[in-house]
Amino acid sequence: MPKFRKETQVTSVTDTSSSILGKAAQATPAPLASRIRGISDRTMAWLFITPAIVLLLAINIFPLIWAVYLSFTNYRANRPNAPLENVGLSNYSRVLSDPNIWQAMQTTAHFVFWTIFLQTLIGFSLAYLIDRKFRGHAFWTTVILVPMMLSPAVVGNFWRFLYQPQIGLFNYIVSFLTGIPPSSFEMLGSVQLSPWAIIIVDTWMWTPYVMLICLAGLRSIPDYIYEAAEVDRASLWRQFWSITLPMALPFIMLAVLFRGIENFKMFDMVTLLTGGGPGSTTEVASITLKREAFESWRTGRASAFAIILFVAVFGLANIYVKALNKVKQR
Amino acid sequence: MAEVILKGISKSFGETRAVSNLDLIIADGECVVLLGPTGAGKTTTLRLIAGLERADSGRITIGGYDVAQEAPAGRDVAFVFQQYSLYPHLSVYENLAFPLRSPARRLGKDEIDRRVRDVARMVRIDHKLENRSTRLSGGEMQRVAIGRALVRRPSIFLMDEPLSSLDAKLRAELRLELKRIQKELGATLLYVTHDQIEAMTMADRIGILAEGRLVQIGTPRDIYSNPANTHVAARLGQPHINLIPVDVLPDGRAPAGTRTVGARTEHLEISLGGNANAQIDWVEHLGDQNHLHIRVGDCKLITLANPYLPVKPGDKIGLALKNPLYFGADGNRMY
Repeated sequence: MPKFRKETQVTSVTDTSSSILGKAAQATPAPLASRIRGISDRTMAWLFITPAIVLLLAINIFPLIWAVYLSFTNYRANRPNAPLENVGLSNYSRVLSDPNIWQAMQTTAHFVFWTIFLQTLIGFSLAYLIDRKFRGHAFWTTVILVPMMLSPAVVGNFWRFLYQPQIGLFNYIVSFLTGIPPSSFEMLGSVQLSPWAIIIVDTWMWTPYVMLICLAGLRSIPDYIYEAAEVDRASLWRQFWSITLPMALPFIMLAVLFRGIENFKMFDMVTLLTGGGPGSTTEVASITLKREAFESWRTGRASAFAIILFVAVFGLANIYVKALNKVKQR
Repeated sequence: MAEVILKGISKSFGETRAVSNLDLIIADGECVVLLGPTGAGKTTTLRLIAGLERADSGRITIGGYDVAQEAPAGRDVAFVFQQYSLYPHLSVYENLAFPLRSPARRLGKDEIDRRVRDVARMVRIDHKLENRSTRLSGGEMQRVAIGRALVRRPSIFLMDEPLSSLDAKLRAELRLELKRIQKELGATLLYVTHDQIEAMTMADRIGILAEGRLVQIGTPRDIYSNPANTHVAARLGQPHINLIPVDVLPDGRAPAGTRTVGARTEHLEISLGGNANAQIDWVEHLGDQNHLHIRVGDCKLITLANPYLPVKPGDKIGLALKNPLYFGADGNRMY
């Protein structure tokens, strides 16, 4: 999502600036041209960023403020003309006392924990392996990055086939390795397995991303530090624990932050794979939110829930970034 | 400490021959300085001894043992890098203790503590032991790096331009301290630099490297006054030795076959009045002395002069040679 926003900003800025400069250049009479040339750097800077700020306000800040407002009302988006009533904090108290929502929060936490754990572990290990300059390491880096470049919609549909009990490759491989008959388990249909089905797909898709950031961290460690350690008789094990890991730690933490924020609002993969089911076993917070807002049409309450989520993620991310900065300063 | 012997060492990187057929003996307790321009193979020589590179051919023995098959850890050498190669997330104390905590050493906690504090005092960093190594100035970082080498008591210290990233004042200070420490410990030290002052002041012997070959090795005095060829002559002396064709300032004493005459300040005599054969182009005032830029025919020379010598640009002077160095067509010294 943020990627799209950024692109729109950039294009809008260039559009405006080129049109200004274009007009100035196109044989505009002297007064305007000189006036444009006479613009101070500060004004020019404002001219350049104003379109971006306007867009940001229109599609980010305003909806946020509007949602805060709606969260204190009984507004329903399917009945826009119904009289609006101020209900105070009752939306918030209902959300916080709703067991379904707490269930969804737990499911989300479970997803976030396991995806980050697996992605960091595997991603860092891959980065550590690929950092050695063996023959064809550039090729393998590219191969590993492929899942990340695919669209989530493609990945989701892809894995639905892989998870097919009768014809799916995943079930076939598991049965090949363990001897369990392939159609004896349903990754997407079983209460026990479906959360893991999603965790596996998310890990498959986003481990390369974590690997890339970790790789940047590992590449930033200069060779002579390792050479010094080698001369100082540090074993590979000790070099790893006292040089590699501490020096790459800020990068690993950054990857965890990015993946954490992203997976708190995990929506696409769950929708495509299970739609939140079976029952509500994979219903993460964003799915509950969508149901509240666009199936039950309780816009006010959904807004309250969204605000609570926002504050929670924002708060956690802030605490985390403080910790990250401390590690970096060391 | 131990004697280190290199015999017929060669090393190429692809097409480039970094070191070729190098013989060098560093006696126990001796300080040898390798001097040469960038790309002469100085650093490669150090890295070969440390085991950070493997020689293509030749033998390296440290204390009588052939170390060809040993990894850096097995060679008992200490290396000070040109960059501040400190472990950035560790304190000064931990950086100094790092080599001692190697399981191969099995040192007690008290012993480590004693050694770290001793060395910290020696390199004058004992007041900052608890600081993070990234919070130090450049001079302090390099002290720690040197301290980390000293704490080990290895067979040989290998130092790769350790002072080159410091400013002039610090460099002069640390140069003296390094020499003092080396003498105090009786350390075997192989030191690489392209700074002739470091070479002259620190070395027991200077080895001049050019294009991977050891051109000449000897005491600083010897290298300065008896350079084997023009290359060696050009490495030492400030200002640079003047290398002029033999017919510019004829003195009638040049041996047959001499092509080039090498004249340092002490080989040039200036006379005012009388026979003028040269002209002053420019005078640089350095305070305690002057640089004179002199032109003889088409040839330009630089020499030092007493600041009270009454000359100014444009003046005609007499210039004569006094026991200069003679070099043949191949650049080698003629006697």
